[in-house]
Amino acid sequence: MKKIAILVSLLIVAGLLLAACGQQAPQTVVVTQVVEKNGEQVVVTQVVEVTPTPPPEPVTLDINWGTEPPTADPGLATDTTSVAVAGQMFMGLTKFNPKTGEVEPWLATSWEASEGGAVYTFHLRKDVPWVKYNTATGEVEQVLDDNGNPRMVNAHDVEYAVKRTLDPATASDYAYVLYIIKNGQAFNTGADGVTADDVGVKALDDWTVQFTLESPAGFFPAIAGMWVVSPVPQWVIEAAGEKWTEPGTVVTNGPYVMTEWVHGSELNMKRNPYWPLWAANGGDIKGNIDVIHGVMITEESTAFALYENNELDTTGVPLGEMDRVKSDPELSKEYYNAPDLCTYYYGFVNNKPPFDDVRVRKAFAMAVDKQSLVDNVLKGGQTPADHFAPPGIFGAPDPGAFSKEMPFDPEKAKALLQEYLDEKGMTLDDFNALGITLMHNTSESHAKIAAAIQQMWKDNLGVDVKVENQEWKVYLDTIKKTTPLDEVPHIFRLGWCVDYPDENNWVYEVFNNTAGANRLRRGCVDATCTEVKPMKFDELTEQAKVEQDPEKRKELYYEAEHELAVTEAAYIPLYFYVINTVTKPWLQRDYPPLGAPNYWDWVIDWNAKKAATGG
Amino acid sequence: MAVANLSAEDEEILSRRQRSLWRDSLARLMRNRLALISGAVVVLLVFVAIFADKMAPYDYATQDLDANNAVPSYLMWLMPKHAERYAKIDNSFLLGADYLGRDLLSRTLYGTRVSLSIAVVASLVSLTVGTIYGTISGYVGGKVDNLMMRLVDFLYGFPFLIVVILLQTYFKALARVGAEGGFAKVLLDWNAKMGGMLLLFIAIGLVNWIGMARLARGQVLSYKEKEFVEAARAVGASHTRIIFRHLIPNVMGPLIVAETLAIPGYIFTEAFLSFSGLGVDPPTPSWGIMISEGVQNLRTYPLQILVPAAALSITTLAFNFLGDGLRDAFDPRMAE
Repeated sequence: MKKIAILVSLLIVAGLLLAACGQQAPQTVVVTQVVEKNGEQVVVTQVVEVTPTPPPEPVTLDINWGTEPPTADPGLATDTTSVAVAGQMFMGLTKFNPKTGEVEPWLATSWEASEGGAVYTFHLRKDVPWVKYNTATGEVEQVLDDNGNPRMVNAHDVEYAVKRTLDPATASDYAYVLYIIKNGQAFNTGADGVTADDVGVKALDDWTVQFTLESPAGFFPAIAGMWVVSPVPQWVIEAAGEKWTEPGTVVTNGPYVMTEWVHGSELNMKRNPYWPLWAANGGDIKGNIDVIHGVMITEESTAFALYENNELDTTGVPLGEMDRVKSDPELSKEYYNAPDLCTYYYGFVNNKPPFDDVRVRKAFAMAVDKQSLVDNVLKGGQTPADHFAPPGIFGAPDPGAFSKEMPFDPEKAKALLQEYLDEKGMTLDDFNALGITLMHNTSESHAKIAAAIQQMWKDNLGVDVKVENQEWKVYLDTIKKTTPLDEVPHIFRLGWCVDYPDENNWVYEVFNNTAGANRLRRGCVDATCTEVKPMKFDELTEQAKVEQDPEKRKELYYEAEHELAVTEAAYIPLYFYVINTVTKPWLQRDYPPLGAPNYWDWVIDWNAKKAATGG
Repeated sequence: MAVANLSAEDEEILSRRQRSLWRDSLARLMRNRLALISGAVVVLLVFVAIFADKMAPYDYATQDLDANNAVPSYLMWLMPKHAERYAKIDNSFLLGADYLGRDLLSRTLYGTRVSLSIAVVASLVSLTVGTIYGTISGYVGGKVDNLMMRLVDFLYGFPFLIVVILLQTYFKALARVGAEGGFAKVLLDWNAKMGGMLLLFIAIGLVNWIGMARLARGQVLSYKEKEFVEAARAVGASHTRIIFRHLIPNVMGPLIVAETLAIPGYIFTEAFLSFSGLGVDPPTPSWGIMISEGVQNLRTYPLQILVPAAALSITTLAFNFLGDGLRDAFDPRMAE
């Protein structure tokens, strides 16, 4: 029996319609199958006659991307919208299980680490084709190589993608997560004599790719699943340049292909029928969504109104509607609430007076009633934060671990501020004359939170704080560490969401004053932080990064978190995010805490949706 | 002597005529009931703006987080269905409270200050600058007129909002850096005291005189050839005198009308700028800020947008009707 060819996977291929006649006429189709014979792989091409049936109505998912994605290029994506779009079109080597958060095979079927854990070898699937959407016919087509065979995603594509992300010419903002790869940082920062060839990634053969790391890192398989590692089509990028992600040009390998991108308005996708993981193709992905219709609506309240009107299948719950959603008989059943791996915080500019004094920072931190903020303003069941990494991240302290040392305590806060004022011979009026400024990026909810906290500082400390906001890109530029001290606000708002579930992604990559952006300006020698001296926290995070013993790492991270939140009080952790969504009863969905949403796994009861929307 | 006498007599006749022109207009305005009511509303608004701190039951910034989104029991009929399941009923706030438990009525009353100040200051600035610029341009004529009007055309080419946004961004950055002393320091201190309003006034005023200047020039061009100007010139009146004594009072009518009709635009500009974070600094309330906050929970707590939106609508309508009434009053031909 084993001598009989075993079907490994089936690819219904290449819409080479030799006889394109009427709808019901039999058509000849070229079918290519990869078949394993006696352990050897053979590509078999057959000509088959099929009689097409009228196509059933596509199962359509209506979603809101939230905003125009800045890019669909996985090498350049930095924000959640871009990641969500790129994640449908490109496969990473691994992915996270949407329910458990564990790292699972995706493009790679298996991987192994060398002794010591500094070299990782990934074995790739051999049946994932490159596909392209034909805008003229409205069909998804396979991309053929020079010999007319379907072109498959291989290890060389992965190698190219990694080197492209790290190439300084690509200017990828997320290149830093690949600094763990040998010579990654040197190549990305343009160090002398380091070329792409020195980067520690190599295709050993067509289906095996090997990564050599700077230091052993147990979390590397999680990084390998990130969008910046997803294979991209070199030949298309080189031919089309920056416009390569437009529909009709873009060549992809994921479960969905982009069919239409009306910038600023909507971005639509269609199921890739050649994707080997669909149940129909012998895989184990059971989602039934044929078409993703995604609009770009920035105002959460508008999107929510569309949801109530059955025009969206799922959406977030805006702050203002929370009371009604939780008490409405229908909406409360559709409401879902779960912890999300993100943290909301206010950073102090640690070298800008008066926040260069730890007592002032502590006073401001202790004067914020996080519980009241969460209960009365946010209302979404968020957890008040007392440190940076939320539960679920490797190495994160338990929530509330430091809340005894950094409690909400107006008396103590006032005393600390008074101590500072006395020492400097200042009055509260002098202090207020300094014009303390809190800045956030423009958004309805950030403004609400800022207004609440502004008043807490006023009531509990007697301090007048000015609140300002700027558009996101301008804002990021304002709060970078090289902005002159005069122009940077004293306090700024930011959030951080997980890239991979390890403390290294949190305390080290965000706050270490040499590795991170150092917006807190910790340990600055001069005003614009051209030079920094590492402090205890920075040393702890560096140690923990290379430490191999998990228990020891946890201890180091605990100490580092304590150092930053309590000893230095360098920032105010405010709360850990939650997902607050509503979903129509006909949609079965997951809530992956990290990475792109897994639309490929979602299932819609189409008849129920049709009945409800009257379509 | 004879000449001097004639001039004095002439002046008397002219000034009597002027007064009667204004009085005629006033009489016509009095007959227009809608305009009259609108005028009363505007006077009332000015009164509210001046005495907001005396009238408001609470301070505009005081928050009572536990009373967030409170609704008074007698306004529950304005709320959506099932509201009794979630709304906090609290009669200590006359018109309810916002998401931070701040009194809506007090915030709306204080918001009148911002909106009306914008209306008054921006229109004074644009009226003064625009009238003087346009009149001089139209009166002098020739090359000077050409040059001055080309400058206006040039400025007109810039989209108004972008200029205001640029100015406000610049001013805000300036305010953050602070000034060492001198005039800039005085200005910034005042601005801080006014919750960021002063710089907003300047920004809006600086871009709005352009239309007024064009209008004034057009009027002056038609008036300067009229007989009474000829006569004034013939008796040897100086240019300054002709401009301020004879021309400006005559062109003022249409300008005031245009300005009144432009006021709702200024109020909206303030609302827009505050919404995009370039207006007044929180927690200073303005109707624009309140509306943009209210629209987010329109379907859950409609009261929070209804109150400031009603205030804005009434004000806008009042200024529009008053403007219409003034136009009819100053230019009876258009009314027929």
